[in-house]
Amino acid sequence: MNEFDVIVIGGGITGAGTARDCALRGLKVLLVERFDMSTGATGRNHGLLHSGARYAVTDRESAAECIAENKILRKIAPHCIDPTGGLFLTLPDDDLNYQGTFVEACKGAGIDAEIIDPREALAMEPSANREMIGAVKVPDASVDPFRLCASNLLDAKLHGATILLYTEVTGFIMEGSRVLGVKTLNHKTGEEGSYYAKITVNAAGIWGMSVMEKAGITVGMFPSKGALLIFAHRVNRMVLNRCRKPANADILVPGGTVSIIGTTSTRVPLEECNNPQVTPDEVNLLIGEGVKLSPTLAETRILRAFAGVRPLVSSDNDPSGRSISRGAVCLDHASRDGMEGLVTITGGKLTTYRLMAEMATDMVCRKLGMHVRCQTAWTPLPGAEGHSFKETADTIWRTPANKPEEPDIYGDALVCECENISVGELEAAIKHLGAGSLVDLRRRTRMGMGTCQGELCGCRAARILAREGLGDKALSDLRSFMAERWKGIYPIAWGDALREAEYTQWVYKHVLGI
Amino acid sequence: MRFDTIIIGGGLAGLTAGIRLQEEGRRTAIVSSGQSALHFFSGSFESLKDCPEAEELFDRAGVRLHNLPGSRRLLPGGAFREAVLSLGDVSLLPGEGPIGKKALIVSFNGYHDFFPELLAGALEKDGTPSIQGIVEMEELAALRKSPTEMRSVNIARVLDKCPDKFVQKVKELLADGVDTVILPQVFGLDGDEVPRAISEGLAPLKVIFVGTLPPSVPGIRTQNMLRRRYERLGGTFIIGDSVVSGAVHEGIVSSVASHNLDTYRLFADNFILCSGSFFSKGLHSSPTAIEEPVFGLDVEFPEDRSLWYEADFFEPQPYMGIGVKADKDLHPSIGGEKVTNLYVAGAILGASKDGKYGTGAGKAIKSALAAANKILSL
Ligand SMILES: Cc1cc2nc3c(=O)[nH]c(=O)nc-3n(C[C@H](O)[C@H](O)[C@H](O)COP(=O)(O)OP(=O)(O)OC[C@H]3O[C@@H](n4cnc5c(N)ncnc54)[C@H](O)[C@@H]3O)c2cc1C
Ligand SMILES: Cc1cc2nc3c(=O)[nH]c(=O)nc-3n(C[C@H](O)[C@H](O)[C@H](O)COP(=O)(O)OP(=O)(O)OC[C@H]3O[C@@H](n4cnc5c(N)ncnc54)[C@H](O)[C@@H]3O)c2cc1C
Repeated sequence: MNEFDVIVIGGGITGAGTARDCALRGLKVLLVERFDMSTGATGRNHGLLHSGARYAVTDRESAAECIAENKILRKIAPHCIDPTGGLFLTLPDDDLNYQGTFVEACKGAGIDAEIIDPREALAMEPSANREMIGAVKVPDASVDPFRLCASNLLDAKLHGATILLYTEVTGFIMEGSRVLGVKTLNHKTGEEGSYYAKITVNAAGIWGMSVMEKAGITVGMFPSKGALLIFAHRVNRMVLNRCRKPANADILVPGGTVSIIGTTSTRVPLEECNNPQVTPDEVNLLIGEGVKLSPTLAETRILRAFAGVRPLVSSDNDPSGRSISRGAVCLDHASRDGMEGLVTITGGKLTTYRLMAEMATDMVCRKLGMHVRCQTAWTPLPGAEGHSFKETADTIWRTPANKPEEPDIYGDALVCECENISVGELEAAIKHLGAGSLVDLRRRTRMGMGTCQGELCGCRAARILAREGLGDKALSDLRSFMAERWKGIYPIAWGDALREAEYTQWVYKHVLGI
Repeated sequence: MRFDTIIIGGGLAGLTAGIRLQEEGRRTAIVSSGQSALHFFSGSFESLKDCPEAEELFDRAGVRLHNLPGSRRLLPGGAFREAVLSLGDVSLLPGEGPIGKKALIVSFNGYHDFFPELLAGALEKDGTPSIQGIVEMEELAALRKSPTEMRSVNIARVLDKCPDKFVQKVKELLADGVDTVILPQVFGLDGDEVPRAISEGLAPLKVIFVGTLPPSVPGIRTQNMLRRRYERLGGTFIIGDSVVSGAVHEGIVSSVASHNLDTYRLFADNFILCSGSFFSKGLHSSPTAIEEPVFGLDVEFPEDRSLWYEADFFEPQPYMGIGVKADKDLHPSIGGEKVTNLYVAGAILGASKDGKYGTGAGKAIKSALAAANKILSL
């Protein structure tokens, strides 16, 4: 019951991808995540499927990895990817000579970069700054990290993996210089547990540093906070970048019904990683730079501000973190630290998660003396067959154990009008995807992520949770859902955002009495 | 065009002031951009226990208000609150003790803006067991075809035509021991006859109406009835137009300009600004300032934006207390200079609870009456 071939710590994209790869290679897998899936950097990033162009000049190796993975993910996860394409704009402030260096470097890394006429670029992307003096087209795209992570976890499950959410690894079970398994605490029930495996993989992102300390191992990491702003409309069709050395606030990514400007890079203390805050200065910087890429942003309403922490592995003492390689790091703690049965996979990017999972799984197999080929470069993720949101959601959510039920004629009613989420989709997420709270539902369905920021759909969904037997805590859950939303709103609450906020205050406190 | 008084904003405050002035034979006009906070109204006037002057004024408009000292009301999320002055179809419940022996909570298939499960939990704690029932009517089937049509106002449009049938359907759901029926407020867009007919039709059962997610049927009804009353009294209601600026010389407003009237100006002896708070655009905020956009009236606000908010959503939010500065007669000022024939009333004063006017809809009514009475006393 409690014995596995491999235990994966962390339910972000790296852990999810690793669990899937291990399961596909026939290993008996346990994944433990202390909160919900995608609660770390995976749920707090820019959603850019890098073409690699951003790193072509400064980090050729990362660039080459990105383009290879970019091509693979388009095939295995089309339901998570919006193939928008991307543009690198040279603005009057930028040096046009950089464009040549940039295109050369892209070609060298295998990235299809094409210089186009600024007028043509404007026709492709009417929201771009018309004062641009140069434009290069690259195969950037937009990716839905929540859906990608959920698809990986689901496929792991379909291949026999056990997934424990809200279960934190509190320590290791060790015998001499060998890790035999992990000790856990279930945050929902308060139960403690012990699980055993031949190999344990640390995929706990930035928190991996503290997790490893429990085994007496030091992994030097660099918590690099990035702040982002979400705009209320999808302003741009294509990803917009600045054609210059990577800097702050120079990427605008369209995603779903919104656009996101980012990002910054500031080293933060480890304590801040659980609750990274956006400062007014960061807000000002993001708007100031964003408007240069797309002047219409000046008139576009901002929905919310948020920040995530990149799990970068430190090499030197660069205070900004931008010169640290964004490449993946896979450590065998047996050869590195003399600790058997323990592997760390970290660093890297969302875009390269599959490759990272392959690296980690290769190492696990090697240590187990197995020779099984990795199949993830061509095996589609569940959901990849369907393309409409509904179809995709259904395929993702319905596991063989839960045969499709009778269609529900009331299931089409919309709960979230901004993001078009129906009752049926929420019910499916509750039944088949382990959603037990509003925040869980948001992560699985995008509910509450649109213009209204959850003011009405939050209540409707609370009621659906109550109906599914999760009623005792539906109200307190609704309160924490709204509290969490407000954290991202108040840094940018002026203009229409403040109007909406005032409305929400009245409706919640006086009309609904919540 | 010349009026005795021009009122900017046709929400609760503007209409109350307008009706008061018309009842005294003054010639007034209300210019209003659009929807007001009444469209989202709970039906209860916060901070107002009673106000005979308003109760009579509303009664003459066909809007019945009531309150009972020491009683409670039930909110849609399942909370009980102390009752305040409320519309007739906000049910007043005894201050303590179970609200009934057993309740039937009624809703509709595919309707997600009313929360029987949350209410059931709250009633249970309060000592009233309940059952839930769904009313099925073919009249509602057409609404359900579209995933966004099952909303309170649309349901009211349908049910207002067939209240008897609805009563019949509720009776079919009754079970042994039920003495109380809880219904969503989805009745009576044009008047309170329908909710009253339903209460009577279900008697001797006790009927309790509970609010829904916005839009609010009782709120929209109140807006419509007040407007009808105002127009029947001869008031000029200009809807869908916005006042964009005013001509002010030496502390006196001579005229205002509107968006649609182009170069044509509206003249009056007195003006009342009832343009609401941020939500209705009576106040405007940018990253660095909070302003009153029509006249540029003085507004007091902290320069440091982080002081406008409380990080905890459920704490009172400082920005909601921010409003146009006014003296005891509700005269605002521009650059420190008082404007003597302009009055401000309603949510534009900010939602902070002040001793004289209270907060919320209570403040809107009291300040609007105060401004109108001041004009009448001149
Ligand atoms: C601001 C920002 C923007 C970014 N933009 C992009 C982009 O546009 N494109 C791109 O490709 N990449 C981007 N990235 C990088 C990308 O988001 C991360 O590299 C990636 O999500 C890391 O995933 P992970 O699974 O390794 O870590 P995480 O997602 O952080 O997952 C680690 C998980 O481990 C769990 N955990 C921690 N401790 C324990 C424990 N003791 N027990 C159990 N579980 C535990 C955590 O709860 C968490 O869920 C961005 C990153 C940031 C911060
Ligand atoms: C969503 C919401 C729900 C509320 N619910 C309650 C409640 O249940 N109970 C309670 O006590 N209080 C409630 N309030 C508080 C509310 O402010 C008061 O109840 C009251 O209704 C305010 O009335 P008002 O006439 O001052 O402003 P509003 O109702 O906001 O009306 C202002 C009107 O002025 C118009 N306007 C604005 N600018 C111009 C212009 N330049 N030219 C012409 N017209 C203009 C607007 O379109 C609007 O119609 C709520 C507020 C909001 C925002």
